[in-house]
Amino acid sequence: MGTELISNLLEIFTAEDPMPFDHPEGDPWKDFRQIMRIEWKMEFTYRHILGKYSKFFIELANKRFFTTECPKCGKVWGIPRPLCADCLTITRWKELPGTGVLSSFSVSYFVPAFMKVETPYVLALVKMDGADTLFTHQLRNFGRVEDIKVGMPVKVAYATEPVSHPMLLMWFEPA
Amino acid sequence: MEVLNKKRRVFVLGGGISKFAAERVDGNMRDWVNEAVLEALEDAGVDIQDIEHSTTSYFSDHFDKQLKAGAIFHDNIGMCPKPNVRVEGGGATGGLAIRNAYAYIMSGLCDSMIVFGAENMGRHVPSDVAQQFIALASDTDWEVQVAGFYIAYYAMMMVAHMEKYGTKEEQFALVSVKNHRNAMYNPKAHYPMDITVEDVMNSRMITYPYKLLDNCLLSDGAACLIFATEEWAKKHCRTWERKPTIEMTGTGCGTDFMRMADRPHPYPGITHFRGKRMAAEQAYKMAGVKNPLEDFDCFEVHDAYSGVELVSYEDLGFCKEGESGKLMEKGVFDLGGELPTNTSGGLIGFGHPVGATGIAQGVEILRQLRQEAHPKRQVELNAKRGGMDSHGGTGTFCVVNIFERRD
Repeated sequence: MGTELISNLLEIFTAEDPMPFDHPEGDPWKDFRQIMRIEWKMEFTYRHILGKYSKFFIELANKRFFTTECPKCGKVWGIPRPLCADCLTITRWKELPGTGVLSSFSVSYFVPAFMKVETPYVLALVKMDGADTLFTHQLRNFGRVEDIKVGMPVKVAYATEPVSHPMLLMWFEPA
Repeated sequence: MEVLNKKRRVFVLGGGISKFAAERVDGNMRDWVNEAVLEALEDAGVDIQDIEHSTTSYFSDHFDKQLKAGAIFHDNIGMCPKPNVRVEGGGATGGLAIRNAYAYIMSGLCDSMIVFGAENMGRHVPSDVAQQFIALASDTDWEVQVAGFYIAYYAMMMVAHMEKYGTKEEQFALVSVKNHRNAMYNPKAHYPMDITVEDVMNSRMITYPYKLLDNCLLSDGAACLIFATEEWAKKHCRTWERKPTIEMTGTGCGTDFMRMADRPHPYPGITHFRGKRMAAEQAYKMAGVKNPLEDFDCFEVHDAYSGVELVSYEDLGFCKEGESGKLMEKGVFDLGGELPTNTSGGLIGFGHPVGATGIAQGVEILRQLRQEAHPKRQVELNAKRGGMDSHGGTGTFCVVNIFERRD
């Protein structure tokens, strides 16, 4: 055969015409139905910069919740941004108490790849006290799923164990 | 907005689709694009040698494992050395490609444009890896790292909608029932099925409140459309006199903050598609649409998840905020209803190979307006106008396009 020379070969097979209903005269691609499938592995590691909002993550490590306030229009963004998107003014850091109210949530029984999380897990949108917009994170230690209610008070909890990403230094819990 | 130069008009000459399926093991993206292009050329009765420009539509370099895929599609169909441009707008990429054809032709940059799109999403990676790839189209610093992914984002939107308006899970399950059913009359559809609301409700919970059958599909496939001016068509299009004349009369585009968390309250808050409302307003104004429910005969709506179709009805102006669930129960959007939606089966029934999806919506509207659709899904023509809506992100990037039949 010679195909054993191909180290990443998965299979060689004959494919069927997926559109026979369009080909009453016969398969126009009949010369091209032999198919090879290979394994293709790609791995990358990036040295990623967390932008001008890096201080947020540095302060999370200090168990403090910071966001940004616009010195011109006064808007406090739940998720910090160095430039106020409403009036294009450079913002200032502002500490928030880390408490808030649950705006909405979802309960997932499925986990995307590369994420280490137990199911079911809850993704939450929280209106932070002192902010004008919301913040997205997991809600943990919620007890039973049925006990999660829109409008319930929540608070930021901080990690004490090592984490795989600075964003995981925090999560929400019922207050 | 002064975009209506009445001296130039854009017509839809033909379309083609290479079957949408869970996995197209008979080839890869370039093969599917070739098939869609061949069908569109035959449908339009034009030769590729005469077409002046192409637009490439695909979304994800991660799925497709090929940067600059457009160069390959373009050279495969013998378009070199003529110009090509790639557009990208997440789930709205196909809709954006149609809008791009309109813009290029209206501006006079070209008189004819072939638009082709595809995506390799099927089963060449496991579904949890696929969901991670799609999640990379949300904010990777702030949302993805907390295990955010699209079903979960849309589920949060729907929980908020249910909370605000009393929308019921059974109401959005009806969308899934309708779209799977419509797909039964579309041989190119990925997931035709005769199911009930109970089947949807009893399917596996993925992310509350969305069950497995509420979700659209990861599909392989391609689609193609050909556009031109009337003058060009008269000279190069062999079917111009034989087939009904279809004109593109409206296009709109709108956006919203990438992260739902940043959106203003109360509108759109986390319940509505503000960008879609803006896209619809622009497109309706161009086409002279006053009452969408009456002024359209059919509409392809971006049903990434069943509830998304309901919310879209509200932001497309088919009904007031919070009323979509009740209209769905009344059958307003079913075949034979006041405004049949997703007659093709939509993303849920037809499939969602992202770069092809919006173009396939256009092919469906073209077929409907020419009365070439399968008799069981062919709509009655009154307004002789059809619309399509596609969006990316959580309504982060929205495009609405309108085709009309000229008799």
